[in-house]
Amino acid sequence: MKTSAPVPAPSADASGSSLFGALAALPFGALMLFGFVAPLLCVVWFGFMPPKTFALLQAPTLANYVTIFQQTYFKSILWSLGLAGLTVVCLLVICYPLAFALAKIFRGGASFVTYAIATSLFVSENIRLFGWVIGFMKNGVVGGTLATLFDAQVDSLLYNIPVIVLGMVYVYLPFMLFPLALGIKMVPDQVREAAFDLGASRWQVFRKVDLPLSLPGVLIGSLLVFVLSAGAIAEAKILGGQKVVTIAADIESEFTYAQNWPLGSALSTLFIGLTTVVVFVALARFDLEKLLGKKRD
Amino acid sequence: MAASDSPSAAPILDVVGVTKRFGTFTAVDAVNFGVRDGEFFTLVGPSGSGKTTLLRMLVGMEKPTSGEIRLRGKVINDLPPNQRPTCMVFQSLALFPHLSVGKNVEFPLEIRGQSSGERRTRAWELLKLLHLDPHRYYDKNIAQCSGGERQRVALARALAYDPEILFFDEPLSALDARLRKLLQKELKDIQRGTKKTFCYVTHSLEEAMVMSDRVAILRAGGIEQIGRPDEIYASPKNAFVAEFMGEVNLLPVTGGGDSTGAWDTGRKTLALALPAPLAAGVQKKLLIRPESLRFLRPGEVAGNRVPVRILNEFSLGSRIQYHVEVAPGHTLTVERLREERTTATEAELGWELADSQLLDA
Repeated sequence: MKTSAPVPAPSADASGSSLFGALAALPFGALMLFGFVAPLLCVVWFGFMPPKTFALLQAPTLANYVTIFQQTYFKSILWSLGLAGLTVVCLLVICYPLAFALAKIFRGGASFVTYAIATSLFVSENIRLFGWVIGFMKNGVVGGTLATLFDAQVDSLLYNIPVIVLGMVYVYLPFMLFPLALGIKMVPDQVREAAFDLGASRWQVFRKVDLPLSLPGVLIGSLLVFVLSAGAIAEAKILGGQKVVTIAADIESEFTYAQNWPLGSALSTLFIGLTTVVVFVALARFDLEKLLGKKRD
Repeated sequence: MAASDSPSAAPILDVVGVTKRFGTFTAVDAVNFGVRDGEFFTLVGPSGSGKTTLLRMLVGMEKPTSGEIRLRGKVINDLPPNQRPTCMVFQSLALFPHLSVGKNVEFPLEIRGQSSGERRTRAWELLKLLHLDPHRYYDKNIAQCSGGERQRVALARALAYDPEILFFDEPLSALDARLRKLLQKELKDIQRGTKKTFCYVTHSLEEAMVMSDRVAILRAGGIEQIGRPDEIYASPKNAFVAEFMGEVNLLPVTGGGDSTGAWDTGRKTLALALPAPLAAGVQKKLLIRPESLRFLRPGEVAGNRVPVRILNEFSLGSRIQYHVEVAPGHTLTVERLREERTTATEAELGWELADSQLLDA
C-alpha cells in the first residue's frame, strides 16, 4: 500500500525490512543460543564445581584450576598447540602453490581438482586415518612393497611425531587449500601485470603483490586449520599411539575413564580461552579490511 | 610532411610486419608503423580492431607470431615487460590497493633499489607535477581517492619508472565526460612538459584528435591510415576512416564514365555531379559533411541539388541538426547555424562539389 506522505515512506520501508531481517534471523539465533551459547556456558560453569561431582548447583571453587596448574597438563596443551602450529606451517608451504594453480592456472581443470579434494571429505576422518595405519604398519603397504622390491626390512613407520603431523596435514588440507585459493583469486591479474611491467621480478611480484593481497585467504585458512588441529584427537591416537597425549585426549579421559567432569570442563574452558586469545591476536595483527585496501576512515 | 623532416622526429619504436594469431584468428595482421621520439602517438580503432592485442605486444605481455618490434633499433620481441624500458597505464589503472598513494608511486623506485629518502623526494615531485598535494595525498589510501585522483596516481607511478615510452590502454574511458576532457588536456600538457614519448590506445577518435600529434586508425587487425589529426580529418583515406571520424554522409555512387555518378535509392536514381571523374560502373562513396549541406532558397545555384523531406530536428546549441529523407530508408544529416533555421517539411538540399570527396568503400 502506498502511503500518502512521500517523505516518511523510506524510513517506514527501512524499519519494515529490518523487522523482516530480525524475524529471518530468529531460527538461527535460537539454534545458536540453545545449541552453542548455553552448552558453552554450562561447560564454563561446570569448571568451577567441586571435583568429581555431577551437579551444577553447588558453591563455585577454583579447585580444578589449581589441579591443572599443579599437574602436567601444560605438556598436553603445548603438544596440541605445537602440533597445530606445525600443521599450519606445513600446509601453507604445500597449499600455496596448489592454490595458486587452482585460482590462476588450471582454469577448466580447477573444478576437477576441487571435486577430487572435496570428495575425500565424504569418507570419515577415522576411516581415512586407519587407511594410513595399514599403509605404514609393519609389513603394511609401504613396508611390504619395500621388502618385496628391494628386500629391505622396514619396521613400523607408525607411532612417531612426523606421522602424526602427516595425518593432520592430510586431514586438514582442504581447510587450508580452499580459503587460500579464494584469497589468491581475489588478486587482480592486472595488478600483478602492472608490478611486472614496472620492473619487478617474479619473486618481487609474489612478495610485494600476491602475498599481501592474498593474506586474507592465508589468514582464514591458517586460523581454520589451527583451531581444528589444536582440538584434534584422532591423529595422535590412531597414528601416534601413546607417543603424544594431546589436550583433547586429556579432556576426553577426564569425562570418560576418570569421571571427573568438573576437571574436564575446566581444561576445556582453559583451552578454548587460549585458542581464542591466539585467534584474536592474529586477527588484530592483520587487519583484513586494511589488507584489502577497503578501509575508509 | 614537415614533422618527419625535423631532427627530433627520429623513430624510437619501429613496428615491422607484426602479426599476432590466436589459433586460426588473426588479431593483428602485418602491421607497420613507427613512433617518433617525444611525440604523442595514438592507436585508435573500434573494439575488435586488434588495438589491445597490438598494445600488449608493444609492452611485452604478448609475443608477436611474426614480425619485429624494435626499440631504438634493438629487437625487443622476446624481452619480458620487467626488462623493457617502457611501461603502461592500464585501463583498470591496476594500482596496488594495499599501498598508500606515496608507496604506489615509489613502487618502481623501490624495485630499482633506491633509498627511501630518494624515493620520497621523487614521489613528492611527481605528485606535485600531477596536481596532487603531497601533504594530503602521500599517505592517503587508494580506496579514498576519486576516479580522477587515481588516474593521476597511476600516471605518477608510471612516470616514476622513467620509461622511454609510456603506453596507455584507454585509462580515461571509465570517467565522466567533463573529467575526461580535463584529464585529456592535462595528459597532453604533461607529455609536452616531460617530453616523453606517449603511445595511447583508445576507441574514441575524439580523444585521439584532442591529444595526439599523430594518429593511426586500426580496422580488423590492420592500419587504415596514419597521420596528423588535421590531415586525417581533411582527407580520410576511405569510407571507414571518414565514418569513424564522426557523423558524416556517405552516399553510394556508381560512376558514369565522366564526373557524374548515379545514386540509386531504390525508388529513384539521382544523377549527381562528382568532384572527380569516376569510371563507368565503378562504385565509390561520396563524402559530404553535415555542415556542407544547405537548404536552397528558390533560384539559388548549387553544384548538386536533391529534393528532400525534413524528418527531425535536434538542437546542438548554436547549431541545429536535421535528419532529412531523400527516399525511404535513405537519410542524410544536415547541420546549420541556428540563424538559418527552417520549419519547412519539404526542401531542396544543395552542396558544392568542392565540399564533397570520393572515397573507396
